[in-house]
Order: sequence, then C-alpha cells, then structure tokens
Amino acid sequence: MKIKLQLYILGKVMAIEGILMLLPVICGLLYGELRNSVIYALFAIFFIAIGLLISRKKPEKVTIYLKDGCVATALSWVALSILGALPFVVTGEIPSFTDAVFETASGFTTTGASILTDVEAMSHISLMWRSLTHWIGGMGVLVFLLAVVPMAGGSNMNLMKAESPGPSVGKFVPKVRTTAKALYLIYFALTVIEILVLCIAGMPVFDSICSAFGTAGTGGFGIRNDSFASYAPHIQWIVAVFMILFGVNFNFYYLIIAKQPGKAIKLSEVKVYLAIILISTVTITINILNMTNGSAEAARHAFFQVATVITTTGFATTDFDKWPTLSKFLLVSLMFCGACAGSTGGGIKVSRFQIRAKMFLREIGSYINPRAVKKVQIDGKAIDPELERSVSTYFFVFLSIFTASAFILSFEGHDLVTTFTAVAATINNIGPGLSMVGPTSNYSFLSGVSKWVLIFDMLAGRLELFPLIIFLTPMTYKGAFKGLFSKKAG
Amino acid sequence: MAKKGLRIIVVGAGKVGDTLVNRLADEGHNLVIIDKNEERLTQLANLCDCMCITGSGASHEVLVEAGISDTDLFISVTESDELNLLCCTIAKQFNKNLSTIARVRNPDYISEVNYLRSKLGIEMIINPEYEAAVEASRLLFLPAALSVNSFAHGQAELVKIQIPEGNILDGKTIAYLGQNITNDILIVGVERGADLTIPNGSFELKSGDIISYISTRKTNFNFLKSIGFNTRSVKSSLIVGGGTCAYYLADLLIKSGIDVTIIEKDVHRCEDLCDLLPKATILKGDGTNESLLEEAGIKEVDSVIALTGLDEENIMLALHTKAVSTAKAITKINKITFTEAIESLKLGSVIYPKYITAERIISSARSRQAKIGSNIEVMYSLFSDRAEACEFKIKEASRVTGIMLKDLQLKPGVIISFIGRDGKIIIPTGSDQINIGDNVMVVTTSKGFTEISDILR
Repeated sequence: MKIKLQLYILGKVMAIEGILMLLPVICGLLYGELRNSVIYALFAIFFIAIGLLISRKKPEKVTIYLKDGCVATALSWVALSILGALPFVVTGEIPSFTDAVFETASGFTTTGASILTDVEAMSHISLMWRSLTHWIGGMGVLVFLLAVVPMAGGSNMNLMKAESPGPSVGKFVPKVRTTAKALYLIYFALTVIEILVLCIAGMPVFDSICSAFGTAGTGGFGIRNDSFASYAPHIQWIVAVFMILFGVNFNFYYLIIAKQPGKAIKLSEVKVYLAIILISTVTITINILNMTNGSAEAARHAFFQVATVITTTGFATTDFDKWPTLSKFLLVSLMFCGACAGSTGGGIKVSRFQIRAKMFLREIGSYINPRAVKKVQIDGKAIDPELERSVSTYFFVFLSIFTASAFILSFEGHDLVTTFTAVAATINNIGPGLSMVGPTSNYSFLSGVSKWVLIFDMLAGRLELFPLIIFLTPMTYKGAFKGLFSKKAG
Repeated sequence: MAKKGLRIIVVGAGKVGDTLVNRLADEGHNLVIIDKNEERLTQLANLCDCMCITGSGASHEVLVEAGISDTDLFISVTESDELNLLCCTIAKQFNKNLSTIARVRNPDYISEVNYLRSKLGIEMIINPEYEAAVEASRLLFLPAALSVNSFAHGQAELVKIQIPEGNILDGKTIAYLGQNITNDILIVGVERGADLTIPNGSFELKSGDIISYISTRKTNFNFLKSIGFNTRSVKSSLIVGGGTCAYYLADLLIKSGIDVTIIEKDVHRCEDLCDLLPKATILKGDGTNESLLEEAGIKEVDSVIALTGLDEENIMLALHTKAVSTAKAITKINKITFTEAIESLKLGSVIYPKYITAERIISSARSRQAKIGSNIEVMYSLFSDRAEACEFKIKEASRVTGIMLKDLQLKPGVIISFIGRDGKIIIPTGSDQINIGDNVMVVTTSKGFTEISDILR
C-alpha cells in the first residue's frame, strides 16, 4: 500500500470533480439561479484547491499493484459520492445527508435510483449536476484521470482494470493513456451526437443535454416526474436506440474507427446482446398488446423498457409495474443480465453469462466424455482458466452480497417484490424496480440503514464487487502505515 | 515537447525482452509484445504499458494483429536464433521501411553476420555473449579505466577514469591540462558525487572526480601514461566456465597475446574448446573447487573472469578472487537483478549481457526516433541518460561553419567533442573550425537538439 500514491490520485479526482462542477454553474447562471450558482461555484473552487493541495507532490515512480488500483478506485468513488452530495445539502434541495449521498452515489454509479418525490421542483443547476454525475460515472473518473494526467510507469493499467466494467479489460492500443483517450473520445462524440439529434427532434436544449448525459452513462435520472412518458414517441425511440448503443462494448466502436468493421461484426458478445434485446422486445410486445392502443405503442413501450433495463439505464415511458407477470419477470431477468462488458452499462454483463454458459456446456460434455480436454472459447480465443475462476467467483460473491442486502432490507417489512427488486435495481445499477420502488415511485420511504446498504450495493455493482471488497479488507492495509509511524518516531 | 514514440514490436518476453520492454515503455514508445507463453505476458502486461499478443512472432496472422504494417521497429529476442531470423525476414515482407533487429548467439552464424544483414535486410544483429566478451576484453586491455566504450564506429573511444588521490590532475583546470599535458583528449563530462558537469576551460578537477573523455586509442595510452596511470594490459587470464561468451573472450584475448586458462566442467565442451582455441589451456573441473582454482593459479594470474551459467557462482568466485588474490575480477551476471545488493558487494567490474543488449537496441531506437524531423545522424545517451551525444552531418553553410570554435557562443552544457573529416577524427581545440561535409559530435546535457545551430545561444 502506498499512502502517498492514494492521496495523489484522490487529490486529482477531487480536482476533476471540482472542474466538472463548473459546468452546472454555467447552466445555473444562464437560468439566473444566482444563490445556488454561488454555492456550487464555491464548492467547485474548494474541491479544486484541496485537490491540488493534496496532489501537489507527484509520487516518485511507483508501481501500482492490483490492490493499489482497487483501493484507489474504491476510495475515489466513495469520495466522489460524498463530496458530490454536499451541494445538495447546502442548497437545501436535499436536506438529509443520507438522502443526498444516496442520490449522488446513485448518479455516479449510473444507477438512477432517486429519493426525490418531486424532481420538477429542483433547480436547473442541481438537475444538471445530477445528470452530469451519470456522465462522469459512466466511463469512469479514473479512466478520465488516465486520459488527461500523464502517470509514470505502465502499471496504471491496474487502475483501469479496477474501474472498467467486464470480466477482462483489454487495450485497443499499446498505451493505457491512448486507450483511455480513445474511450473518452468515442464516449464524448456519441454524447454530442445524441444531444444534437434530440435537439433536432424538438426536445428543449436543457432536456436534451440532461437526457443525453443520463443515456450516455446508462444512468437514468429523468428531469420530469414521469421520466420519459410525456415526451413525444419519436423522442422515446431515439433515446431507446442511444441507450442500446451505449450498452455495446466500446471495442466495437474502436474497431469501426480503426477501419476493421469485419472484426467488429464478429464480436459475439454484441450479437448475443442484440439477440436478447430482440427476443425480449418481441415477447413483451405480444404480452402487453391488449393493454395498449395498437401494436406500434406496444412495440415502443416494450422496446424502450427492454433497452432501459438491459443497459441498466432506468428511464421509463410507462409504469411497467402494471404489466403482466411474464413481462415483469422478463424485465427482472434482464436486470441481472446487464449490458456488454466494456460499455457504460451495469449488471452482471452478457460476456460473463456467455463464459458461464460455455463452462456449463463443457461440464455436460465432461459427463459424456470424461477424458475430453476442452477449453472455453470466446471469439475464437481460449479463455484463460484464471478468468474462468474469476467469473465463477464473481457469481458467488454477487449472490452473497445480494442475499445479505435483501436480508437487511427485509427487516423493514415491505413486500418481497419490493425488497427483492430494490436490491436488484441498485446492485445492477438500474434504478427503478417493481412495486413500491417501481418506475413511478422512489426510494425515499426507506430507512437510513437500508439506504446505506443500497449505497454500498450501487458502488459494489458499478465497480464490479471486488475493488470495494478489497478496499474494506483489513489485510490490504497490512504494513501500509508502518513507514508513516516510524518516520514520526524517528 | 516530448517526441512521439515509435511503434515497436518485440518478439520474445524472456530476460532480454523483459528488460527491453520496460526500458522502451519508459521512453514513451508504443509497444506490442508477442510471445507464446501467456503467463509471462500477463506478468509483463500488469506492470508495463504495452499490448501483449499470445502467439508466434513468425506467424503472418499474429503479425497483422500486432499492426506490423505501420510499425517502425521490429525486435526479435526469443531463445532461438533461427526463429529470430525467421521473424525478422517475415516481418520485413510487410513493410520495406521497417527496421529489424535480431538476437543471434550461435557462433556458427556470427562469422556470417554481414551476409545475413545484407541478404535478409536485417538492420542489426545483436549477440549478447559477444558484446559481453568485447566489454570484458576492453576492461582487460586497459585495467586502469572504469569503462571503455567505442564511439563513432570504433574510431574514437569514450574512456571513464577516476582521478586518484595525489594525481597530477588534482586541482588543475581543464585549460591547464590542454596547455601543459595534452591537446589530444577532450573531457566531455565530470561526475562529482551525484553531479554531472560538462566542463569548460576554467573547470577545476579534483581527486575523486570521475572524468569521461574522448580520445583515439593511441592518444589515450599516451595521455594515461602522462598522468601517471598504468596502461599495461593484463598478461594472463583465468576464465571460469566455458560457454559461448568464454569462447568469444578467449579468442579476443589470445589474439592480443594474453595467456588464457579456461576451467570447464563438461568434458565434451572441453574437447570442443580445445579444437576452437588451440592456444588456450583448458582444464576440466568444477570452478567452485578451491583447490582446483589454486592449481589453476588464481593467486598468480592478473585477471579472473567468472562466466559460468550460475550468477551466484560467479559472484562467489569474484569474492573469492578478491579475498585470495590481487587479480582484476570480472563477473558476468545473466539473470538476477538485485542491483543494490550486488553493488554493495563491491565485486569490481560486473557485466550484464542483458543490459548491454537492451542498451544497444534502445540506442538504436533512440537514434531512429531522433532522426525523425532532424539532422541527427546518430545519437547516444551518456551518463545514465543525463547527457546525449548527437552526431550531425554538416550539409550546408550555417552560423556555425567557418568560424573558429572559440568564437562560437555555445549554450551552457554543450561541448563539441570531435569533428570527423575525411575519415579522420579531430579532437578540436579553440582554433579549429567546422566545415561543410564534416560530421560533428556534440555532447550536451540539454536534450532535444534537432539542428547543429541549436548548440548556439
């Protein structure tokens, strides 16, 4: 453990948060929200100053081992959530600290679960900040850090590994920094395109920007109480398509930019992902046909809801809590499935299911031909046994955290569906669940303890469980403070 | 401004590959590593900013995946000489502008290096064992020097010595040295403690300083003699371990008339060495056997060179030599990297073949990078990267040509170390001048020169 390195990264992350906070300040000034703008601006300057102060000493060339990467990531995300919550508390728009942290953690982890009962009462500046947290959290703040701050040594790959979604994290190009830049470039370009398309489609500029941030990070904070239900149908279609685009593995876009579309099309994960969307949409459309005015509306609602759940965004165009059990069940299953690895989406990830399914088939094969030697392959490449092991462990850890969280929540005495989907919707970073936490409701009725449990789930889900667990394991810090104390003693 | 890194493919993630990749990544190049061993690649990828591909470096498909067509430099350092040559040959087919570097160790091929280079279009064939032997032999020919490196295609030498207590140079300025001792050498760097200075005429030397100077081989001996150094080469050498490196070294030493004794364990290898080196004394036995060493004359010889395959054995041998004899000890270390521990043992001269190899390849990459958008012909890095030596070819008249050097307003930390004119090396004095057609070697602590006129204020 390297305390100085952790402080350096933490400082940089704080400074970045401060700089990004200036964007809502501009927005607030445009809308004439002077009091709030001043509060946000003061926080921004404060974060930048403290951040630069902490990180003014660049550590000597150090190697970032995997555990350092995990701790730095977890620490950064916890800090982001808590610091980002402060303006909400001070402006008085979310007076409770727990609620404000819940809202911000939900933003950064791109969950989109809200405790706000009346979103439309919020000031523009706070709405913008809420949506911006989605955008920052979508691609990850450390990836941003790697793209803009030159870091010594090659071991910073361990930072990216800890933050990026998916079982295995690869690079497009030899350098981490170039990879991080490419990722953010694609991300930024897609976001800008979405803003433009939405503006052209007739959405107000402020709504377009906030919705695009929410879609890009696959977050799900709406700026209207009914999420997307009151927008025109063609806008709903556009947003649904963009949600699916942001749930695609970013390797896909890189390969297209690198003029290797042949390879891009061959990515099996993307194919499986699109197939799941198609099948679910068709099934749900047929299932809800008699509840809607015509097949076009059924298809639109089905497509939008499938897109919003599989990409773990969490917008809604209709109250799917009222849908038949088959449709609801499908949506809950999709919550766990999640988007592609290497996208901005959450959930368990399509590729993990792919690997697990192929391992299962191999297991079946080994009963039939016990001596057969077979390796699990994805896209024509054998999967490393290490990766197989980590995927298997992931499922177990996921299940454990899920069960433990649901157990704590069940003390509140709500119905099973509420308890179950509240945890599912937060650990998978979706947002709305079913029943009492359905698309038309929110999480404000839960107790403080339950909210903190869900905050943990959101962070654990976004960071793919392990970084947060490593962060909380005392063994990680063995010997970390030794140097510090002995220096003081001497 | 930082220079744009080259795109480099390295095949083989072994000892040399590992060192090489880490160093090249630190210099900001874009690296792709190809190796068959996935575990080694994973280890490398975790700690180093590079992209790894599992597969054979001689495979067409793998090379395409690595992006061979827009690569600048291709380095093959696998265990097998033949595979290295094959990889380079195949890589060359994609891209005629590609520079290829192959590691070839087998003595059978070494006599054919020039043929291989011209026919296969390989830019550089590097032989770690041979390089190590050459470095060892330089130290044996001039035991007084800390290091001797050849420079400018072997025409000049960069010699490093430490000024001992009470030497005549102690307390003298560089100008005094030029006026009273010799004008044939030029001090390009003085290391005092942790500081490096590129000295001017008024710089005062002190005992304990480590000075680096440029000279030709002949003038070097005269200079060292005139300041009271022993310039005799060793007369006899005891080499422990009879591997490839030992063969190369023995060959070089015997050609210069030095008496060589080799101790080798394996009887078949002994017989081979007898055939290859008829003038050497070959002893069959274990080099760690104290009585055998005594019998071989460890107390009488001028130098003991530990070249066995085991680093630990080599280190023990060097320590033993220091304990029982006054001979100069040279230790070869292949694998282990406990640099601090090894330094604290004060073994004397230590040779690391993998660092020598990596250094050669890196300087080649540097020089290629420096050539992009500049007039630099060759570039060397000196004093552990704290200074650069750049060779410029003077093609046209400019602010530096036709003016006596003493009248040039040079930037601080810049020295014109030699001028190559008509195939001869001139160690310049203030009254020399740069002409069109010269090659000029500039040593400087400020980096990033692209034109010869950059040396001026």
